[in-house]
Amino acid sequence: MPVVELSYSRLQKLIGKVSKKQISESLPFLGLDIESEDKDLVRVEYSPNRPDYSTDFGIALGLQGLLGIKTGSIKLKIKKSKEYKINVKSSVAKIRPFVTGIVAKNGKIDDKIIKQLMTMQEDLHSGIGRKRKKSSIGIHDLDKICFPISYGTTDRNYKFIPLNSVDEKTILDILKNTEVGREYGGVLGNSSQVPIIIDSTGQTISFPPIINSSITTVTTKTKNLFVEVTGINKEDAEDMLSVVATILHTAGFNLISTNITGSKNSSPKLESRKITVTPQLINESLGLELNNSKIISSLKKSRLDASIKGKNIVCDIPPYRFDIFGQMDIVEEVALGYGIENLTSLLSPSETLGAIHPISSQLKSLSLVMIGLGYLEALNSSLTSKKILYEMTNREPNNSISVLNSKSQEHTILRDLILPGLLENLSRNIHLPYPQKLFETGTIFVKNNPIYEKTNLAAVFANQDANFTEIKSILQSALKVGFNLDIETKTSTHKTFEKGRTASILAHGKTIGTIGQINSQTIEKYKIRVPVVGFEIILSGLIFD
Amino acid sequence: MSQVFHEIEKKIISVLKIESKLTPEKLENLTKLSPDQIRRGIEWLKHKELIEINESKKIHFRLEKNGLDSLEKGLPERRFLDLINKSPMTILELQKQLGPVFGPAMGIAKKNNWVESIENKISLKSYPSIIPGEKTLKQIGKDGIPEIKTDKDDLTALLQRPDFIKEDIVKIKEITLSKLGQTLDFTNSDSGAIDVEAKVPETYVAKTHPLKDTIDEIREIFVTLGFSEILGNMTQSSFWNFDALFTPQDHPARELQDTFFLDGISSKKIGTAEQIRNVSKYHKQGWRYHWDINEAKKMVLRTHTTCITIKHLAENKPDEARIFSLGRVFRNEKVSYKHLVEFNQIEGVVTGTNANLRNLMGIQREFYRRIGLTKIKFWPTFFPYTEPSLQTMVFNEKLGKWVELFGMGIFRPEVTKPLGIKKPVLAWGGGIERIAMLKCGLDDVREFYNNNLGWLRSATKCQ
Repeated sequence: MPVVELSYSRLQKLIGKVSKKQISESLPFLGLDIESEDKDLVRVEYSPNRPDYSTDFGIALGLQGLLGIKTGSIKLKIKKSKEYKINVKSSVAKIRPFVTGIVAKNGKIDDKIIKQLMTMQEDLHSGIGRKRKKSSIGIHDLDKICFPISYGTTDRNYKFIPLNSVDEKTILDILKNTEVGREYGGVLGNSSQVPIIIDSTGQTISFPPIINSSITTVTTKTKNLFVEVTGINKEDAEDMLSVVATILHTAGFNLISTNITGSKNSSPKLESRKITVTPQLINESLGLELNNSKIISSLKKSRLDASIKGKNIVCDIPPYRFDIFGQMDIVEEVALGYGIENLTSLLSPSETLGAIHPISSQLKSLSLVMIGLGYLEALNSSLTSKKILYEMTNREPNNSISVLNSKSQEHTILRDLILPGLLENLSRNIHLPYPQKLFETGTIFVKNNPIYEKTNLAAVFANQDANFTEIKSILQSALKVGFNLDIETKTSTHKTFEKGRTASILAHGKTIGTIGQINSQTIEKYKIRVPVVGFEIILSGLIFD
Repeated sequence: MSQVFHEIEKKIISVLKIESKLTPEKLENLTKLSPDQIRRGIEWLKHKELIEINESKKIHFRLEKNGLDSLEKGLPERRFLDLINKSPMTILELQKQLGPVFGPAMGIAKKNNWVESIENKISLKSYPSIIPGEKTLKQIGKDGIPEIKTDKDDLTALLQRPDFIKEDIVKIKEITLSKLGQTLDFTNSDSGAIDVEAKVPETYVAKTHPLKDTIDEIREIFVTLGFSEILGNMTQSSFWNFDALFTPQDHPARELQDTFFLDGISSKKIGTAEQIRNVSKYHKQGWRYHWDINEAKKMVLRTHTTCITIKHLAENKPDEARIFSLGRVFRNEKVSYKHLVEFNQIEGVVTGTNANLRNLMGIQREFYRRIGLTKIKFWPTFFPYTEPSLQTMVFNEKLGKWVELFGMGIFRPEVTKPLGIKKPVLAWGGGIERIAMLKCGLDDVREFYNNNLGWLRSATKCQ
């Protein structure tokens, strides 16, 4: 979850009459988790579906609504103009087909605003921009650009002075030798041509989605802004633009439209949409009986405008709220505006009777039998390591199921037996008093398509006098007492067990597992100093399906 | 020192009060206790310094083959004298009568001047009433005797002769009461009392795993709230783990660094043709991207148990149901004191008449009340597949702050509609280890899977 750092005093200025306490108590009810607080600073976690919360402007809008200071929708006023023309060349169609943009004038730009805009940009990139793949954003000093500008392509030897640099660099150089280039260069694939934005004087404005040019850098001296968004999808690009436009509008800028033509591109409309919802759905979903005016006032507190049309509520969704998909999203907005703290819990009697799954019951009984036999229950991960599963028990890793890119060396492979884990457990406890008796029931995995998942029981007994007779007696009693099952043991061999002290376990004439004394190789590898006997059986197909 | 004595101790002391010095064998006879009981009693009393044990060595004589033979038939020289006492006999005749003992007998008789040779016959000169050794022979007898009871001179005659007498060295243990022991008086003590204050060895109790106890408790609570348990596989196709839950294929959660994808395994059959068609349609509409069936076929280790409940709902489409699923889920994370790659999750869903948000909150509150958590509140949050979405905050007394527990919400129509689920579905769930940590007072979640016998043996059954 992304995190944004806010200042209480700045929020107070943006919101209006509100105390610090009111702010900190209200933040969670916007869905913002306070991560840490330090005097005036507060760091909050917001969910990536609300990129407007990546700035204090967006959060201030939300708090104004919730606290009833200012409610209803944010209406963008965009002055139409033909001045800011963007021509799109057809060469971008196969690389990054869409561009959109807006001009924002006469705002106050200080360090804090620049910082907020930067975080917003980064969060938009990583969230809805899908690491700049879907869409990416560039914010420029408008007064350094001569319109009309063109969005086209160039080759990789093209040179310009990128942001935070004093020298000209080639595209190749930027992709190879800058951090952003290395991180996002992959978005461009292997094409020889890359997107480029150039103004009417031939000056480079941006190399999307990687880096802006140095010349348009926004500083505290900047008065007017130009925002461009490029992407592989027109709607996504406009969604991203709408967030920036809303924030800039809130920050006091005057918005002026751009005029975009060429290669299936057009000027952004940034219009609101309407969603119709019945009061019945709202009340049934929430368990409330709200009248229409309460529904509308609740929506207004969530900064949405709504009106009654016949029996329905028609809700106006501003463009930056593209997280709203449909009616149920409106239901949530009503709940938030109504106040989650005002929703009281209801406990209705159950219409259904509960039941434990028969397999769970049987496993529970089996555990109790094993405990009655003096065995302590162990728990191991089913995602384990090659070392525990195969190397330490002298088995071959044939048909093992491994996961990709595990962050942990100890968790790379799904277990096909429980016993190796129990032996590892014994090795961790060699300094503790004996006898040590452990058992575990759990899932094991067999490579196949589909993968077989079976439930096994394994047990180990480690002590100076541990012997085959005793462990066989345990197994025999567990299955007899637990499930009235008789077993037989037939001489066999197994890589983990001692030759001459190993047997297959049979029930109803079918092999269900192996029992025996763990061989000296394994015991020595684990530095266990007493004999160990053990068994493992498959319960699936034996006791349950 | 405890003044309570075992019955064995009392018997030994009583006997020693009468006879001050006794061997363990005699103690056995007098107390009628078994050798093992005597051995233990002596150990205990010695430890308590109530008795003293004197160990000494003594020589004991017993007869060997020739000795026993002589005991029965008389010494060879006595037999020799008896024969010629009747009438003189030739050497040949005597050899025939006496066998191998003739030589030694003849030698001793001649040496003592009891016989003489006349005309090739041996005749008696004088007949001794006592021959040296005869007295000792009788004293030792069949059972043997201690050295002290023998006549030293008489014994010497026999000791020199081969295979007559064997010397045994016997260790003798004699027990006497110590000064402290002599002061003991049992006349007033309770009979049958034992030392109830003594320390005893630890017995390790076999028991279920503490985490399993929490899991079982949660399972029972769900059942008593009217929920039925369903089970499902841990390996799932991305389709059920993500796509069916409206998580777009380019969503960050579906990246390798968050989810465990199985190496080289794709599901053959992910769902019905209709399910696949509908789910892909909603993805294209809602998220505007090219939905790829091959992405949906990639097998993963389930990241939540929601895939089990949604599959169940899609297959059964119940009008009225309360179900839950409980089991292991996986996240590709770095293991730490608060994160595991594999942990347990509980997931409950309700569909039917009362499926609304306030009821969902009510079930939560009741669930928490039953596991002993009463200070709770709800905050809004975001989940890709529920709308509205809430999270439960629980006040952790130990940390002195609100901590996040279960997440909940109503399944989005984008989840239910493509799968043909018509009724609203309430869903919630969360990690069980977190609750178990609160119950067991653990600060490190890894302890649950360390199988450290020190902890497992000592952990109190969680309340």
